[in-house]
Amino acid sequence: MNARRSLDLKIALSVLAAFALSMAFTWFLHGHLSENDAQELIGRTFRAVESEISDCVNERLVRQCMAARERLEEGHPDDTASLQDLARELQVTEVSIADEKGDIVRSSVTDYLAAPGKPAFNFAAAGGQAADMMSLVDGRETEYCQPFRSNAANGAWRKFVGVWRPSGGFVEIGCDGAALRGLARSALVDLFRNWRVGGTGGIVVTTPSGLVLSDYAEPNREGTQWTEPDASFYWKRVEIESFPTYVMIPRKVAAVQRDVLVSATAALNGAALVFVALLVGFVISAFVRQQMQAQTARELKMAKDIQRAALPNVFPPFPDETHFDIWAAMDAAKEVGGDFYDFYFTGQGRVLFLVADVSGKGVPGAMFMMRAKTLIKSIAQTGKPLSRVFEEANDALCEGNSSNTFVTVWAGEMNTRTGHVTYVNAGHNPPVVWHGGTVEYLRSRPSLVLGAMAGVKYRVGDLQLAPGDAIYLYTDGVTEQPNASGELYGEERLLKTLSGSPCLREASLGTVLDDMRRHAAGVEQADDCTQLAIRYRGEPDVVSWNYAPTMEDLAKATSDLEGALASIPDRVRNQMLVAADEIFANIVRHSGATKWSLTVEKTRYPDRVRLITTDDGKAFDPLSRRDPDTMLCAEERAIGGLGILIVKKTMSPVTYRRRSGKNILSMGKDYGD
Amino acid sequence: MEIKVKTEGSKMTIAVNGRVDTVTAPELEASLKFGDATCVVLDIEQVPYMSSAGLRLLLTAHKTMLVNGGEFQVANVQPAVKDVLDITGFSDILNLI
Repeated sequence: MNARRSLDLKIALSVLAAFALSMAFTWFLHGHLSENDAQELIGRTFRAVESEISDCVNERLVRQCMAARERLEEGHPDDTASLQDLARELQVTEVSIADEKGDIVRSSVTDYLAAPGKPAFNFAAAGGQAADMMSLVDGRETEYCQPFRSNAANGAWRKFVGVWRPSGGFVEIGCDGAALRGLARSALVDLFRNWRVGGTGGIVVTTPSGLVLSDYAEPNREGTQWTEPDASFYWKRVEIESFPTYVMIPRKVAAVQRDVLVSATAALNGAALVFVALLVGFVISAFVRQQMQAQTARELKMAKDIQRAALPNVFPPFPDETHFDIWAAMDAAKEVGGDFYDFYFTGQGRVLFLVADVSGKGVPGAMFMMRAKTLIKSIAQTGKPLSRVFEEANDALCEGNSSNTFVTVWAGEMNTRTGHVTYVNAGHNPPVVWHGGTVEYLRSRPSLVLGAMAGVKYRVGDLQLAPGDAIYLYTDGVTEQPNASGELYGEERLLKTLSGSPCLREASLGTVLDDMRRHAAGVEQADDCTQLAIRYRGEPDVVSWNYAPTMEDLAKATSDLEGALASIPDRVRNQMLVAADEIFANIVRHSGATKWSLTVEKTRYPDRVRLITTDDGKAFDPLSRRDPDTMLCAEERAIGGLGILIVKKTMSPVTYRRRSGKNILSMGKDYGD
Repeated sequence: MEIKVKTEGSKMTIAVNGRVDTVTAPELEASLKFGDATCVVLDIEQVPYMSSAGLRLLLTAHKTMLVNGGEFQVANVQPAVKDVLDITGFSDILNLI
């Protein structure tokens, strides 16, 4: 879960980083945008301010120009000196009179007038804005104002204003900067006091020397010294009609706009990112959970496989054993469980067999099972008596058993010659015993389960089996399998199923499972179903002969065998005689043996014959030969290997061993029930 | 082992009584002389079992008659013999009647 927490932290950090990055970008973008907005607003404001100032200035100057015209109409002399006087009187820089053609005919400035070799200044000829004055001549306009600019005639800075004369032509006055300001200045005082730009920004108009005429922030400041705005404003300075004019917007205003936008974006982005983070977190955790489940399933399967592989699973486990048969099966439930079975020889003619059920499930149960299995086996194989095996295994399992896991075991040890069984029951279900034709539970007072408490003693019971008798061990997975209505399979049904056949056979294990599943009727198997059955067969009927490698002895062996198999059904006997002939012929003709022997071993429960031939010839494993091709047509057929094929096909089991310089071949055959 | 040979024209019938194995096969082999017969019937009603030594004789006889353009038949096969013929694939090549 630590990994999970660190993953969450990583997601959170990534989201935070993404958020910070997107906010920085938004902040920068909106900062940039709001500055652009401010600059654009300043530009637009200037256009309005410009026309406002021009209107005021023009109005004053037109008034002066009309005054000049009036004086001239009244008869004021129009020679240069007189016009200079008039200009002074009207506080303008120059006064000129133009005729209908646009020529300056009278002027306070002699440069404009015609002189020898030089024509008079002509407005139409001067072009540009000067030519626009001609609109006064043709009556399109009654008055016309040029902006303050560099003069077309001599380059001096002037603002010209003209008014038409009813007698033809027009009167024009020109003002330099000082004259212009002298006339217009008063009109501009506090002109923009009520104008606001971008909320708290505004307009300031000053004189060229920096004296305030109109200041939006402080009215009535006329004449005080102006200092240019600092970096806390977006601003621009333009000279309008020679008046330095400022439009300014505090950066704070723009910043507020930006901050509002950024905050809104932050809220939206934040919400989106949190949503995405939750989604990603959810998807990842679902993925991780799925991966972990798959991993757990893989590991459980591995545990199950290891557990299975630890149990003896080749049957028959002791092919040469004639005294008993043993079968076992573990039908595991989905979950890895703690069931196991085991069997092994603990000494000459002593076989131990057991079934066990660990109290825990899953991997801990499986590990405890492996430990219990290994402990019991290692102690049992020292040859100690069964009670001692249990006491030592119990003490070892109790050591450090903090989880109080325990295991129930039913173990028996059979003398394979006599059929005498000693057993210990450590809290396990009672086994079923076939005994002289009756089938019943072997109920004994159980001892304590293994692993519960150290120092416990284990009671040993005993039981004498007759040939054909058997013991059936199982775990409660069999008897406690429920059906849909919760009814368990139960000991009674188990006993009834087992009693269905006169003796215990290998197939009995499958019959029980089938019946149990019929009872469950589709309900999933609840627990491991482990079964083990051992059947005592008694001492075999054994007879042996020794022969020389001659055809005479081969004939003798055949008739000895015929006699030994007299009581056996014809077909089985004939099959055995054919198989024996193949083996005998091999020994006599090909092995190079100096002597050989035949042993016939007959057992009951089930009826089984085993032929064992021993020879001291060269090592030869007939089972390792490849089978001949039986599909060839007659012409292609060669004889050879057919005999071994016949043996392999008719006998089971067939085993070969090489021991102390001898070939030992064993062929078995079951017949009857 | 008891072997009875009866010839009617070009048809020869060989009746065998007793097992055919490593020990008895040479005796039977000696009796399997077909002369001018174009149809040979081996009656093994009285043969309880036959090992691969006997199979070799059947195969040899079958091939010989094929080469001579005649016919070799095996009659009255007992269960244990049939088992062996089936296992070895001989049932497919021999004429069993």
